[in-house]
Amino acid sequence: MVGTEHVDMLPVGAKEIWSAKVNGEDVEVLTTSNATLLDVLRDKVGTLGVKRGCDLGTCGCCTVMVDGQPQLSCLTFAGQVSQCEIITVEGLADGAHLAPIQNCFAKYGGSQCGFCTPGFLISAQSLLNTNTSPTDEEVKTAIEGNLCRCTGYQQIVESIQAAAAIHRGEVEAEAPASSPHPDPHPSGPEEPQMPPGHAR
Amino acid sequence: MSGGYKQQPGGGGNITRKDGKRVAGKQSFPPPGSGGSRPQMAERDLQFIPEMVGGREKQPAGAHVHDRIRTGTTVGKSMKLVDSNAKVTGQAWYGDDVRLPNECVAKILRSPHHYAKVISIDTSKVEALPGVLAVATGQDSTTSFGVLPVTKDEHAMAVDKVRHVGDLVACVAAVDEATALHALSLFEVEYEELEPVFDPKKGLEDADEPIHWRGKYHLAKTNVQKRVFQEFGDRSLIDKPSASNHNKWTMKGVHHGFTEPHAVVAHWDPNGRLQLYTPSQVPHYTHRALSTVLAVPMHQINVIRTFVGGGFGGKSDPFPHEMCAALLSRKCGRPVRITFDREEVYMINRGRHPSHIEVKMSADKEARITGFDIDALIDGGGFASFGHVTSYYNGVLATAPYELGSFHYTGARVWTNKPASGAMRGHGAVNTRCAVEVGLDQMAEDLSIDPIDLRLANLLPPHSRTISGFRITSNGMREALERVREGSDWDNKFRQLPLGKGIGIGCGFFISGSGLPIHWDPNKFPHATVHIQVDMDGGVTVHSGAADIGQGSTTAIAQVVAEVLALPIEMIHVRSHESDTSPVDLGSYSSRVTFMNANAAIRAAIEIRDKLLNAAWEMIGYHPDLLVLNDRRIYYKHDPSIGVSYLKALHKAQEDKGALISSGAYRSPPMGGIHKGAAAGLAPAYSFSAYVAETDVDIETGKIKCTNVWAAHDCGRALNPLAVKGQIIGSCHMGLGQVISEEMVYGRTGHLQNANLLEYKIPSVHEMPNVVPIIVESCDPEGPFGAKEAGEGPLLPILPAVVNSVYDAIGIRINDLPLTPDTVYFAIEKKMKAQSVDDPLELESPRLIHSAMQQVVVERAAQHKVRDVARQRSDDTSAYVNGVLFGFDPNIPLEDQVEGWRSATEPLPDQLAELGFAGKAWLKKEQRELEGDN
Repeated sequence: MVGTEHVDMLPVGAKEIWSAKVNGEDVEVLTTSNATLLDVLRDKVGTLGVKRGCDLGTCGCCTVMVDGQPQLSCLTFAGQVSQCEIITVEGLADGAHLAPIQNCFAKYGGSQCGFCTPGFLISAQSLLNTNTSPTDEEVKTAIEGNLCRCTGYQQIVESIQAAAAIHRGEVEAEAPASSPHPDPHPSGPEEPQMPPGHAR
Repeated sequence: MSGGYKQQPGGGGNITRKDGKRVAGKQSFPPPGSGGSRPQMAERDLQFIPEMVGGREKQPAGAHVHDRIRTGTTVGKSMKLVDSNAKVTGQAWYGDDVRLPNECVAKILRSPHHYAKVISIDTSKVEALPGVLAVATGQDSTTSFGVLPVTKDEHAMAVDKVRHVGDLVACVAAVDEATALHALSLFEVEYEELEPVFDPKKGLEDADEPIHWRGKYHLAKTNVQKRVFQEFGDRSLIDKPSASNHNKWTMKGVHHGFTEPHAVVAHWDPNGRLQLYTPSQVPHYTHRALSTVLAVPMHQINVIRTFVGGGFGGKSDPFPHEMCAALLSRKCGRPVRITFDREEVYMINRGRHPSHIEVKMSADKEARITGFDIDALIDGGGFASFGHVTSYYNGVLATAPYELGSFHYTGARVWTNKPASGAMRGHGAVNTRCAVEVGLDQMAEDLSIDPIDLRLANLLPPHSRTISGFRITSNGMREALERVREGSDWDNKFRQLPLGKGIGIGCGFFISGSGLPIHWDPNKFPHATVHIQVDMDGGVTVHSGAADIGQGSTTAIAQVVAEVLALPIEMIHVRSHESDTSPVDLGSYSSRVTFMNANAAIRAAIEIRDKLLNAAWEMIGYHPDLLVLNDRRIYYKHDPSIGVSYLKALHKAQEDKGALISSGAYRSPPMGGIHKGAAAGLAPAYSFSAYVAETDVDIETGKIKCTNVWAAHDCGRALNPLAVKGQIIGSCHMGLGQVISEEMVYGRTGHLQNANLLEYKIPSVHEMPNVVPIIVESCDPEGPFGAKEAGEGPLLPILPAVVNSVYDAIGIRINDLPLTPDTVYFAIEKKMKAQSVDDPLELESPRLIHSAMQQVVVERAAQHKVRDVARQRSDDTSAYVNGVLFGFDPNIPLEDQVEGWRSATEPLPDQLAELGFAGKAWLKKEQRELEGDN
C-alpha cells in the first residue's frame, strides 16, 4: 500500500450466493464473485483456523482440503470451488477427539507458535489419506509448500510419521486423555488404603 | 478415615469393580479430591528427583538450591505445550482472529519517498467518502515513543518527515476493507523530497539534513545514532603474534520471517478504557508507549496479548500501527482492526542489521588468544528501535567463552532511509560471532592445530569473569565441544573429506536475560512477577505477564508450578494474556523469560507450598521438613500412609482466609563493572553452544547443501527437553537461512526489492539438514531448577559452523553472507584463476598436518578440564578472572599488575587514525562539544 498513485481496485464483484460443504456442513453465504476462498472462509464462514500469511501462495498457512486435495485458499477464487467438499483445520477432529495427526503435532513438537500448524495439518492429512506408509522424502514433498519458521521442520516430519504409524494401526491412538477435554477432576487421590495398625 | 466429601447419603465407600478398577462407590461423578479417572496417587518418580535429595537423577554439576523442592512431577520431562491443543485445532486466536462486534477495518497510507518533509496532508476527500469512519494523521499525536527510553524517535504517523519508503503517513478506518483501500487513494499529501542516505558508510559523514536530530548529543551533523568504544586488557600482548588474521565481512539484513503478519485490534470501550489486542512480545512496553502517545494513564489501558504467530524479535517494539488503531478507535467509537499484508511486514522490519564487520585476532606462541579487535558498522534504518543495545552487543558478546589477552571494540549504528533494523533472535551477537569463529578456524589453520583443541585450550572456566567484567556462572562450553566432536566423528573427518565435502565447527555464547531492565525507574522494580491463586476447587491459577510467542513460556511456568506443588500439569492454569490481570513482566526478549519468569513462579509456588505443608503439619502432626509432596498428596516421609490429600490440606489452609494467594518476583543480582556500557550484555547467566556442521558443496555450480548438524547447547537444565530440542532445531533453520539464502535486497535506488516470501528465501523442508540436538546440562546455580536460555543462543554457532565447513570442502573462505550459489561460484572461479586450473574438480581441499603446538594445546586443554570440573562442583564460586591464563594473579586488580592494562570506553587521541569503519564515528564531536569550541 505504498504510494499515492493507486490503481483502482478490481471492480467490485457481483454479489452472489456461494455454497459448499465445509467441514461436513452445508454452508451458504452471500459473497462477491471475485472473493478468494480464504476471505470467504475467514470472514463469512468463520473458520478462523485458516490463516492468512502472505496472500501469494508462498507460505502455505491457508491450505485447506478441497475434495481431499490440499489447496491454497488464498490463490483460489471461492467460485472455483463452490459445491465442493472443503475441510479446514476445524474439520479434522472428531468432536472432542483429536485426529491422530493433531495429537502427534502436539506431542512431538510439530507446533510451536502454531500459526503455520493448520496448513501443515491439512497438507499432512491429505498425504495420510492416500498413503499411510510414507517415506521421509514423501512427507517432505507433501509439506514443501508450507513454511514454518519455528520448528525447523524436523519435529513436524516426526509428528507426521508418528501419525502415520497410528493410521497403520501399529501404534494405538491416544486415549481421550489428550482430547481437548482431559480428565476433568485430577484434583487429588483418594485417601490411601491404610495399612493395619494405623489409626489415622 | 474421615469422610468429608460424600456427595450422596450412603456413598463414600470405595468399591472394586470386576475389572479390578477401584472406583468411588455409588457416586455418579467423581467427588472433589477423588482424582477422577486417576484415583491413585502416582508413584514418586525417582528418575526425576536429584540424587542429593534421595532420588536417582544424576547431578554431575553438583547440588542446586532448588533441589529440595523437586517432586519429580514435570521438570526434565518432555511434555507437549500446554496450549498445543488450541493450536492444532485452529482455536488459537492470533491478532487477525480477534473479531469484535461492530468492528471496522483500517488501512495505513505509507510514504512513497525514501526521505521527505511532509508539507501538508489534505484529508477532505477521504472524509467525504461514504463508509469512511475516521481519519488520523501525525498531527493527532505528536508525542514520540520507542522501545528504549533513551531513543524515543518514533511517532504514530509522520509528524514532520517520512524516513523510509513505507513510513506511516496517515490512516483511515472504514466500514470494510475495500472502502478503506479506496480511501487511501484520496489522500492528498504534499512532500518535499530530501537527499536520502542508504549506505551506512555515508551515514558517518555530515549530512545537510540528518535523519533524526538529537540536539546537543547529536554527533556533528552525521547520521550516527550510537557509537561505542571499548578496550580492555593488555594491548602489548598482540605485538608479536605467532598467528593473526584480519577479515572484513559484509552481512546482509535478514528478516524474522514469522508467519503471522502484524495485526492489531483496538477498542475504546464505552467506559473510556482502551482494550488493545496485539500479538506482541512486549505487551508491557506497548502498554507504556500507548499511555504516553495517547496521553491516557496506564490503568485506563488493557493490553491483551493474543497468541503470537512467531516473534523472534520482530514483535518486540511498540509499533506505530498500534497507536494508529487506538487513535482511530477513539475517534470513531468502534473497534478498529489493522492487519498487515506481507509487504507491510517488511516495511516495519526490525530485522537483523545489515553489517560491515571487521575482526582482527592474534595468538601467541602458546596458542593463547592475545587479542580480539572488532569493528562493527551496522545499518539501523530509519529508527532507533533496540539499536542502542545492538551497538554494544555486536562487540561485548564476543568477550566469551574464550579467555582473552585484550579486547578492543568500536561500533557504530547509523540511521539510513530504510525500514528500521532492530532485535532479531541472537540480537547483535550473531554476525560478530560468525566473524570471530571463522577467524579462530583460520588461526588454528595457521598454527596447524585442530580448531576444536584450540578452543578447548582457551575456554573460560565456570564461575569466572570475562575481560569486560561479565559474571559467568555455569559453563557447559567444554562439554558441548567434546560431545559434538564425538557425535560427529570429527577426528576422522576434519580436513580428511574429499573435495566438495566439508565439516566445520562453531561456538556460541549468549545472555540468558538482560541483567538490567529497559526502564530503570524505579530501579528496584522486579523484572518478572508471578501471582498464584488457589481456590477451593484445587485448580491453580497462575497470573504472569510473560508473552508466550510459541517458545513455550506458558508451559515452562505451568511446569515449574506443577513441579513445586506436585500437581498434574492440567491443574495449572496460566493466565498471561491481559495486562489487567497479569503482573508486569518485561516481555519476551533477550532470552529472559524462562530464567526470570520461572524463577518468579517458583518463588510464588514455594509460598503456596509452605502454606499447604503447614496445614498438613497441623493435620497430621509432622513438621514440614518431614513431609513429602507427591502427586496431589502430602505425607510423612518415612511412612507414606500417614498423610492428607492435597485438597484437604488446601481446605485446611484456606480456613478463615479463602483462596491462597501468593506473589513471587525476580530481579537479577547486582553485578558487572562500572564503565560506560557495562550493563550491556550483562546477564544473570549465559548459555553456551557448539555445533559441527557437515556440508556438501557442488563445486561446479557453487550450490551448498548442509547435510548434518550436531548441535550441542548448554541450557543449564532442560525443563522440557522436547521444547529445548525444538528451539535448537528451529535455531538451526533460521541461522541456516541467513547463511544460504536469506537477504533483504535493496536495489540501487534504495528500494526493498523482495518484500515477499517468494523472493525472500526462507529455507523449506528440503534445505534442512538432519539436526542432532544435544542438550548439555551445566545446572546454573541461579537458574530455575538450573535452567538457562535455549531460544536464541542456539542460533549463533550454525553460521560459522557452516561457513567453516564450506572452507573444509573447497578451501575457500567467503566473507559475504549469504553464501548464495553465485557468491560461492565466483569465489571458486577466482581461485581457479589464481591457481591456473581449468576444471574446478582439480581444486584441492585443505589438509592438516599437526604442528608441535597441537601437543601444547591438547595438554593445556586436559589440565583445564580438570580445573573446570573442580570449579563447577566446588562451593567456592569466587571468580576466576580473565587473565589468569596469561599469568596474572586473580586476587590483585589487573590494572595494578600490568602496566598498560586498559579499561577504556573512549579512544586515546593517537588511536583515532587506526580505527576501523565504525571507529570513524569517533573522529566527530557531539554538538555540545562543538558549541564549546565556538
